[in-house]
Amino acid sequence: MDKDKTPQLPRRMTRSSTSSSVSTSNHVVAAEVNSLEPLTVNDLLVVGDPISLDDIISSFPGRSSQIREIMRLLGPLNSPMLPLFVYGGPSTGKTSIILQLFRHLNRPLVYSSCRTCYNHGILFESILNQLLLHRKNAANGYSNAKRCERPSDFVNFLREALTNVVNNLKKSENSISNKMTTKGKIGNMIYLVFDNFQLVREWEKSSTILPLLFNLYDMLKMPEVGLIFISNTSPDTFYSNMGYVEPVPVYFPDYTEGDIRQILLRNQLNQKLYSSFLDVALHSFFRITSQVGQLSATLKPLYEKYCEPLSDKGKGVAHNSEMNLRLSTHIKPHISSALNEIFKISSLASTEAKTCKEEKLKGKSRRSEQSEELGSLDFHMSTCAKYLLISAFLASRNPATLDASLFDSRGGSDNRKRKRKPSEKALERKETLEEELLMKGPGTFPLERLLAIFQCLVSVAEDSSDDDEQNNNALGVQSGNGSLMSDILLQLSSLCNANFIFKGRSCPIEGSTRYRSTISEDLALKVARSLKFPLSKYLYRS
Amino acid sequence: MALENHITKAVNVLRSRICDPKFIFSNDSPDSNYSKLKFMISSSVTEACNNSILLLGPRGSGKNAVLELVIQDLLQQYPDSISVIRLNGLLHSDDISAFKEMARQLCMEHQLLFSKAASFDDNSQFMVAMLKECGLAHKTVIFVLDEFDLFAKGKQRLLYSLLDAMQSITSQAVVLGISCRLDADQLLEKRVRSRFSHRKLLFLPPSMEDSQSLLVRMLTLPIDSSFPHDYAVEFNKNVRVSFLLRFKETLNKYLNIDSSVKDLLRFLFCAVSHMDLQTGFLSRENFEVAFSSIQRHPKLEFLRTDCSELELYILVCMKSLELKEQSLCNFNSVMKEYKSVHDSFQTSRNACLRAFEHLIHRELICFTDNRGQSLSVEFRPVKLLISPAELHQGIGANNSCPVS
Repeated sequence: MDKDKTPQLPRRMTRSSTSSSVSTSNHVVAAEVNSLEPLTVNDLLVVGDPISLDDIISSFPGRSSQIREIMRLLGPLNSPMLPLFVYGGPSTGKTSIILQLFRHLNRPLVYSSCRTCYNHGILFESILNQLLLHRKNAANGYSNAKRCERPSDFVNFLREALTNVVNNLKKSENSISNKMTTKGKIGNMIYLVFDNFQLVREWEKSSTILPLLFNLYDMLKMPEVGLIFISNTSPDTFYSNMGYVEPVPVYFPDYTEGDIRQILLRNQLNQKLYSSFLDVALHSFFRITSQVGQLSATLKPLYEKYCEPLSDKGKGVAHNSEMNLRLSTHIKPHISSALNEIFKISSLASTEAKTCKEEKLKGKSRRSEQSEELGSLDFHMSTCAKYLLISAFLASRNPATLDASLFDSRGGSDNRKRKRKPSEKALERKETLEEELLMKGPGTFPLERLLAIFQCLVSVAEDSSDDDEQNNNALGVQSGNGSLMSDILLQLSSLCNANFIFKGRSCPIEGSTRYRSTISEDLALKVARSLKFPLSKYLYRS
Repeated sequence: MALENHITKAVNVLRSRICDPKFIFSNDSPDSNYSKLKFMISSSVTEACNNSILLLGPRGSGKNAVLELVIQDLLQQYPDSISVIRLNGLLHSDDISAFKEMARQLCMEHQLLFSKAASFDDNSQFMVAMLKECGLAHKTVIFVLDEFDLFAKGKQRLLYSLLDAMQSITSQAVVLGISCRLDADQLLEKRVRSRFSHRKLLFLPPSMEDSQSLLVRMLTLPIDSSFPHDYAVEFNKNVRVSFLLRFKETLNKYLNIDSSVKDLLRFLFCAVSHMDLQTGFLSRENFEVAFSSIQRHPKLEFLRTDCSELELYILVCMKSLELKEQSLCNFNSVMKEYKSVHDSFQTSRNACLRAFEHLIHRELICFTDNRGQSLSVEFRPVKLLISPAELHQGIGANNSCPVS
C-alpha cells in the first residue's frame, strides 16, 4: 500500500499545480515495485497475434457487413469518433467481433463488462485500474488504484488518467514515428468499451448512472476518447426523461438458417455426415429458436444419437443416400422429443449438462410409455419436506372451503363429489374457475391451513403404510406432538429459501403472513409419486 | 499510396471537425447567441457586477459549446480577472459533493491547498469567503452549472447560498445555468427565484438553410499545403455541386426528423465514415446509407429477422387477445389462444415458455406489474409493447413467416 502510494502522490501534485507532462517513468517505477513485469500502455492492447481483416470476416460467417460498418465507424488511425452503440440478441458475436477488430487494428482499449462489474463503484474502479495500469497483487493488498464511489470523483479521476495515457501515447508515437511504418503504430486514440450495457438499467442508481455514461463523451470533451456500448437490447429501451444525444447505432441481427448451418459446421470432423444431419434436424429447431448457443447445445447429443447406428459398423462406411435415409428415420423420433426439451438446459454444453439432459430424455420417454416406474426426482429432499411441499401445493390449488370435505372423511367425500351430475351451470362455473386459475395462478394460504393439511396428509400416510413401519420411522414425525412444530417450521423456511414456496408479506387485514406454492403440477406429481402418495385423489378438479 | 494517404488524411480532418464543437459554432454573426452571451459576460466582468443567465435549448443545440467558446475568448481577453468553476448536475446534484467540487476547483484555481476532509459547512463558508476575496480583488468568478434542472431538485441549498452570497455588494460573480428544460426557472424555489436575475438565452435548432450552409462549411477541405491542390479543389467542387443536386433530398428528409446540430453531426459522421476510400469523394450513396443506418426501428428489425416462427405466433396470439378486449393476459391465456389458433399443436409448453421469455428479454412484451417474484412467469400478467400496425408490418416482412 505504502509503496504504491508514495510514487503516486507527487504525480497528482504535479498534475494539479502545473499541467506539465507527466513522465512515464513514474508509472513504471510505481508498477515495478509491486510486480515482476511492469504494465505499459501496450497492455491495453488485445493480446494475440496480428490478425487480418479477411480472417476476421471469414471466421464470423454472415457478419461481414457489420464488421465493415464498425471498421468504417472506427475510422483510420488517430481519427476521432462519436460514441457507438452496438446491439443485437445474445450470441450474435457482438463482443467477440469488437475484440477481434481491436486485435486487428492494434489500438488500446479498456474493456469492462457490466456483468462482472455489478455496480457502478466496481465499474468505475475497474476502468480506472486499467487506465492507471494498476495491477492488484499481494504487495498492495489487492486494493484498487483509486477508491471512488461518487460519479464526480470518477469523472475527475478518469479525465486525469485519460489525459495521462493519451499524452504517453502521443509521446511514444512521436518517438517511433520515424522508425516504423503506419502498420506498427497504435495511434493516440483510446477506446472505452462497456459490455452488457443493458444490465446497468437494473442497478441501484441507474437513473443517474445511465445518463452519466451516455453523456460521458460530452462531459470529458476529449476527442481522443472513443466510447463503445454493447447491449442486448435496442437503444429505445434506454430512454429516460433525462435525454441525451444518441450514440450511433450498429445492429447485429440474429443469424439466418444458412449462417447457423455454417457456424455449426465449423470444427466438425465429418463435414458431410454433419451436414446431412443438419438437413434433417436443423429446420425444425430453427423454427423455435435462432440462438447459436441453444442450438449447438441441443444438437450435440442428438448428433451422437444420429451417429449411433454408424459406430457399429465403423467409421469407414461409404456415405450414400440410402444410408442417409436410414439414419434420418432413426433420428426422427428423437427430434420431436428433443424439441420439447430444447430449453431445459442452459446453453453451455458441458458434459454434465449433457448427461443430465439424457436422463431427462429418458424420463420423458418413460413417462410417455405410462410405465409404473417413478419419475425420478433429480434432487434429494427429506420425506417430511416432500409432504410439506405437497400440502403446500394442495393448499394453493384447492379452494379453502373444500378442505373439510377432502380431508375429514378420507376418500369418502370426494367420491360423492365425483358422482354429482354436472349441470349446465356447474359447467359454466367450472370454466370460469379454470380461467381464473389460469389467470391468477396458485392461491395464497395462511400457515395454519398448511399445517392442518400437512397433519392430515401425514396421518393418511401413516395409516396406509402401517405395515411399512420403516417408512413411518423415516418420516420421523409424530402428529400431535408439540416438538414437531419447530422442526416443520424449519423445513418450511428452507423450502421458502429454495423458492419452492413463496412467502408473502403479511396481509394488512388479516395480519398473518400468507404463503404461496410456486411448483408446477408436474413437479408435485413427481414428488407424490416418489412418496407413493395418491395426490390426484386430493386435488380438486372443479 | 500517396493518394490513399491524403484521402485518409481528409477523412481524419472531416472526422475531427465533426467531433470538435469549437469548429461548428465558431461563426459570429452580430445577433447570434455567441455574441449576445459574450457581451453579457464581458460587461459584467468589466463593470464588476453580478449576473445570472440561463441558457436553454434542446439537447445537442450547442449551449455548452458556445459557452466554452465565449469563456475561452474572455480568458484570453482578461486573463487575470476571471476564474471559472464548472459543475454538472449529473455529477454534483447533491449539495455535499457540489460544495466539495467547488472548493476543489477554487483551490486549484488559486493555488491553495485543498483538504479532502473538509466538511460541508467548511466548504460553504470557504466558498462565501472566496467570493468576497475575489470581489475585493476585482476578480469575477464564473459558475457554470450544467444540467441546471438537476440542481433545482431537493432543497436547492447550493443555488440559494450561491445566489445569496452574490447579493452582497463586494462580490462579483456570474452564474450560468445550462438546461434543456425550457421551464428550468419555474423549478426554482421562491427564495432562489427572487435572487435570480431572469435573463434567458434560447438556443433553437438551426433552420434548414443554416444547417445546409453549416454542412457545406463542414465538408469543405482547406485549400492550402496540407492537401494536394487538385484533390482539395475537386473534393470541394464535388461537395458543393453535388450537394445542391443530390444530398439535399436525403438531408431534408433527415432534418425533418432530427434537427438539432448534434443530430446533424451524427448523420454527417456516418456519411463521412462510409466514404469510399478508393475514390476519396463523398457520394449520394454515402448519405443514403448513413440515413438508413441511423434511422433504426429496433422492434421492426427484430420482427423481421430475429423472431422465430414460434415467437411470431405468440405475438399474434397476444394481439388477438387484445382485440378480444381481454383486460389481462398471461402466458396461460396466450397458450390457450395459441392452441385454438394453431390446430396442429406440437410444440411443447416448455419451448413456448422459453420463446415467451425470449420475447420478454427483447422487450417486445413486458410484465404489467413489477412486484416480481411472488408469481412464476406463467401467471404474471403481460402486455404488448408493440403496436398492431408494427406487428402487421413486421410479419409481412419476416422471411421465415408461414403463409397465412
